[in-house]
Amino acid sequence: MRPFAYEQAGDSSAALRMTANRGASAQYLAGGTNLLDLMKIGVAKPVALVDIGPLRADHASISVDADGLHLGALVRMAEAAEHPDVLRDYPVIAQSLQLAASQQLRNMATLGGNVLQRTRCNYFRDPSWHACNKRDPGTGCAAMDGVNRRLAVLGTSAHCIAHYPGDFANALAALGAEVTLLSPEGTTRRILFEELHRLPGDTPHQETNLHPGELILGFHVPAGPWTRRSLYLKIRDRESYDFAQASAAVALAVVDGTIQQARIGLGGVATKPWRSHAAEAVLQGQRLDEALAHAAAEAAFRDAVTHGENAFKPELGRRTLMRALLQAATMEIQPNA
Amino acid sequence: MPDGKLFGQPAIRIDGRAKVTGRARYPSDEVVANPAWAFLVTSAIARGRIRGFDLQEARAVPGLLDILTHDNVGGEAEKPQPMSGGSTTPTLESDQICHDGQIIGIVVAESFEAAREAAHKVRVDYEVQQASASFDSPGAEEEVREAGEHKDYQVGDAEAAFAAAEVTIDARYGTPTQHHNAIELFTTTCEWRDGKLTVYEPSQFVYGLRGSLAKQLRMEPGDIHVVSRFVGGAFGSKGGITARTAWIAIAARRLNRPVKLVPTRDQGFTIATYRAETRHHIQLGATPDGKLTSFRHEGWEVTSRPSQYNVSGTETTARIYACPNILTKVNLVHADRNTPGFMRAPPDTPYMFPLESAMDELAAALNMDPIELRRINDTQTDPATGKPYSSRCLMRCYDEGAARFGWQRRDARPGTMRDGEWLVGWGCATAAYPANIGPAAARVTLSPEGRARVQIAAHDIGTGAYTVVAITAADRLGLELGQVVVEMGDTDLPAAGLAAGSSHTAGISHAVAKACEGIRARLAEAAVLSNDGPMAGLDPASLVLSAGMLRGPAGQSEEIQKALGRAASGVLEVYAENLPKGVPPDAMGKIYQGQMAMSRGHGREDAITYAFGAQFVEVRVHARTREVRVPRAVGAFASGTIVNPLTAHSQYMGGMIWGIGAALHEATEIDPREARYVNDNIAEYLIPVNSDVRSIEVIMVPEEDSQVNPLGIKGIGEVGIVGMNAAIANAVWHATGRRVRELPIRMEHLL
Amino acid sequence: MATDIMLTVNGGQHRLAVDVRTTLLDALRERLDLTGSKKGCDLGQCGACTVLMDGRRVLSCLTLAVAAQGAEVTTIEGLAGEHDPLHPMQQAFLEQDAYQCGYCTPGQIISAIACVKEGHANSADEIREYMSGNLCRCAAYPKIVAAVQQAKPLMKGR
Repeated sequence: MRPFAYEQAGDSSAALRMTANRGASAQYLAGGTNLLDLMKIGVAKPVALVDIGPLRADHASISVDADGLHLGALVRMAEAAEHPDVLRDYPVIAQSLQLAASQQLRNMATLGGNVLQRTRCNYFRDPSWHACNKRDPGTGCAAMDGVNRRLAVLGTSAHCIAHYPGDFANALAALGAEVTLLSPEGTTRRILFEELHRLPGDTPHQETNLHPGELILGFHVPAGPWTRRSLYLKIRDRESYDFAQASAAVALAVVDGTIQQARIGLGGVATKPWRSHAAEAVLQGQRLDEALAHAAAEAAFRDAVTHGENAFKPELGRRTLMRALLQAATMEIQPNA
Repeated sequence: MPDGKLFGQPAIRIDGRAKVTGRARYPSDEVVANPAWAFLVTSAIARGRIRGFDLQEARAVPGLLDILTHDNVGGEAEKPQPMSGGSTTPTLESDQICHDGQIIGIVVAESFEAAREAAHKVRVDYEVQQASASFDSPGAEEEVREAGEHKDYQVGDAEAAFAAAEVTIDARYGTPTQHHNAIELFTTTCEWRDGKLTVYEPSQFVYGLRGSLAKQLRMEPGDIHVVSRFVGGAFGSKGGITARTAWIAIAARRLNRPVKLVPTRDQGFTIATYRAETRHHIQLGATPDGKLTSFRHEGWEVTSRPSQYNVSGTETTARIYACPNILTKVNLVHADRNTPGFMRAPPDTPYMFPLESAMDELAAALNMDPIELRRINDTQTDPATGKPYSSRCLMRCYDEGAARFGWQRRDARPGTMRDGEWLVGWGCATAAYPANIGPAAARVTLSPEGRARVQIAAHDIGTGAYTVVAITAADRLGLELGQVVVEMGDTDLPAAGLAAGSSHTAGISHAVAKACEGIRARLAEAAVLSNDGPMAGLDPASLVLSAGMLRGPAGQSEEIQKALGRAASGVLEVYAENLPKGVPPDAMGKIYQGQMAMSRGHGREDAITYAFGAQFVEVRVHARTREVRVPRAVGAFASGTIVNPLTAHSQYMGGMIWGIGAALHEATEIDPREARYVNDNIAEYLIPVNSDVRSIEVIMVPEEDSQVNPLGIKGIGEVGIVGMNAAIANAVWHATGRRVRELPIRMEHLL
Repeated sequence: MATDIMLTVNGGQHRLAVDVRTTLLDALRERLDLTGSKKGCDLGQCGACTVLMDGRRVLSCLTLAVAAQGAEVTTIEGLAGEHDPLHPMQQAFLEQDAYQCGYCTPGQIISAIACVKEGHANSADEIREYMSGNLCRCAAYPKIVAAVQQAKPLMKGR
């Protein structure tokens, strides 16, 4: 870790200004749980850290209204995971946070930082491996023919198969959430969360569509008749404190046994937070049974590409989605207001 | 057997308060004045040589003090000598690189942060050679392991018996690379004063560390002081000396200033040892009524290029069941890897997995209950040598464990026990571990206040050794536990051997008991010789110490303080050495010189001494997504005298949970092209977390064994893990019908 | 590069000049001689460095010392003085033998106290889940759960 300048920003405009002054390799520091570790192992090398902790005063609220769920970017994971309104109306959001990391990390990590969590591909996380297009563009990909049991099968390219390791972002993607961004010029824009992250393509080092210096202010999850019948199922080797081998975020609007609308997100299997529109289309207007769940799962993984050790992932992903769908269909809920 | 009142009574650890208040000083917690900080530079290739370094950027880091490489210090230290296996790979002695993550430089700076920055800025020009990662890698060299440290067994004609057998099992198994991953890192702090070196380093053998370091640095052992009062987990990893220590000592000497090293977690994967991957071929032949007629076990183990290290667990598997025809063989496969070493039940954990899996397969083939198959083949005589077991309560363990587990409710057909979405399976397996013991010395000092101080360079790696020593002394001296102070983990104290091989409790208890007997004898002699005392003229051998009194056979008694006053003018101090049966006469001297000396459970002339256990596991496998969980496990163990049931329970339980990790989670992944470890961190090298563990029941089956050693103590730290791999694999088979012969068992094997 | 900071630890104020890269863990251990908090991975993977910051359990290895200013930090040493009665959670760990080597123990105890105070100690399952961020290689887990259950009723009002 090289030395860096450290400044604390009292509010968002100060944060923008400080970052602009420090140039391209300044970074915002929120919870620090995925920035400090990457700095210690020599992957992240910011020249300046702008500590945005004090922005909690303005950007750490959680509210539910007719329009949906509003989450400030500085909300800590544990706060959203345990919020009674989130638990009742958006269980998939609460569960995706609750099933991630440990309570200590959830007490530190913010929602804005969490969606920007970097891959756990070990070839990326260890600079002593030369070949990593994500870390050092143009060097190649050591993972493609290497140890890749945890790596992605959806959204991969010939340049990168690194997986997106988070959970919450898959729920956001599934529910069609929007993210509010503050530009260095002080203007805000709202984009679909699904469009925040990029596919690796031939530029795997460019992970998001954030502009330089842009700051995430918060998230809006639109209301809908599917949010209460929702859950996050995470399949992992360990019972807790482990990244997903496969996960599914599922939300269903069901009337008289027929799925009016479905929202499907997938985790642990893709290069970015993943929404499966293909699976949703299979489900719409149908009655859920084993065969339909299977058809949706087939659709979700139709384009999967495997690389040896991770050959099991499409099958595990399909089964995970089927299990989540069948569980969501029968879960007891209070109907959406 | 001890006549003790404290032996077998649960006692809270005497070092417990220090541990729960954060005041226990582990070696990296020891205070040294104004330390400089070291950070290791390790190789990014597994095989080749260093053409040169570019140190310009590193030297420019503010606060940089020194950079050690083979160029400037290579000739100043010798390689350490491993406890087992002969030679090992180099570090800074030369430009050669023999494995991934080899220490190739040490950066020293004013702060940890500066040292880390500079280390990351060291540029290395490598001459890269193609490295061999493991089994099947091009360039890996296989050889038959010669009989030496470990033996092969040939009884009867196993091949012919197998060919003639009516029922056979012929299968191959594999176990993965595993790393200890104690939570404490491999820290070292070195400080020089007047030509004498003090080393603070977590160690399972402080005299071994001192002895090796003296040779490496060409010093007198007496000029080196090793301090390791608490050890933050070891499991074998802190038994042998690693190369880092000598270089940190040299770094401190060059600066004339204390130097502290706290290596990173990933460096711990390559600068110390690990459990190497193994392969096995097992052939069992049996009669239709379940009698074994043939047992063949061939093993393959990976080691480094120069090392002959191997664990040869066939020394255990050959003697578990009665069988007239036995043949064992072990092969070594040399690859470009760091040298493996002891890890919890080093031979037995990987080798009992195939045997106990094969026994389960045989039971299924015979349509016989797996416990009945073990009962039919149980023996009180070692089939490999014909010697008797000093004690063997395996079937009592099975019976008590089965009763507690509810084994009779098991439906033998696989895939039939289901609970909702979960497939349920029950499995069992035998655990066995040799009862080893080493020599040790202890000094006991009785003070005029009636308090005792026990000094012994033993090691508490979490086993409860401090408390075992206190219990032994209090028991023998007739004192309360609170009246005994224990000092350990320091080469200024009388020597005790390596805290490994489940030998330590037995070894140190006997030394402490012997020193205490010396105290009793001195008090008794003085008492019988004093004319004014109540015990004048009695036979000194008839006097005992109990409840703070020296007591005679007819109820005569005198306070211990008063008895002490007759024997000594101040304190009474006794030093004693204990040489257990089966060790050579010079063994104590060897320990003082830092060499290993141990009597092994399968090495004695008069008997085979082993602890046994029976382990039962319930697994749940999700019917759809196939993740495996272990809701409960029962282990019943017979390990002779249990000194402290409270800490013994923790040891057995910890061993069983290690087994859950070994069977389901733990595997160091190696890049096959570059022979480099990939998941070298504890987010991806998975060890069990709290929610992986539910009900773990431990049954201590009473066992008296006066032949194993006078106090009847067998070890307990390792036997708890031994049967778990197979018990879990057998339970997974029972749940799913799938026989997984490669560990760890993961969801992809069951999809 | 040195930065002057003020840390509030166990009720005391400490003025320090630190390298800005210094973590709270290293500041506690190497500067304030509060070595109870342990370094087991330095990457937020083991929980041995867990401390309380303003009552929340956090990982001191992933917290910059400079960013810890203004917060009330509580470490294992702050629970009971050298000759004081132990905190009920410490006493429970002692009595249940909820450790072996003791290295992860300070982090476990701090985490366990927070687990109770957060209201996450209502069942054995809940304790297991909420204590899963603290690795124990000796695997004292069942006894850690028992210790939390023992201490919980004794912590009312603390």
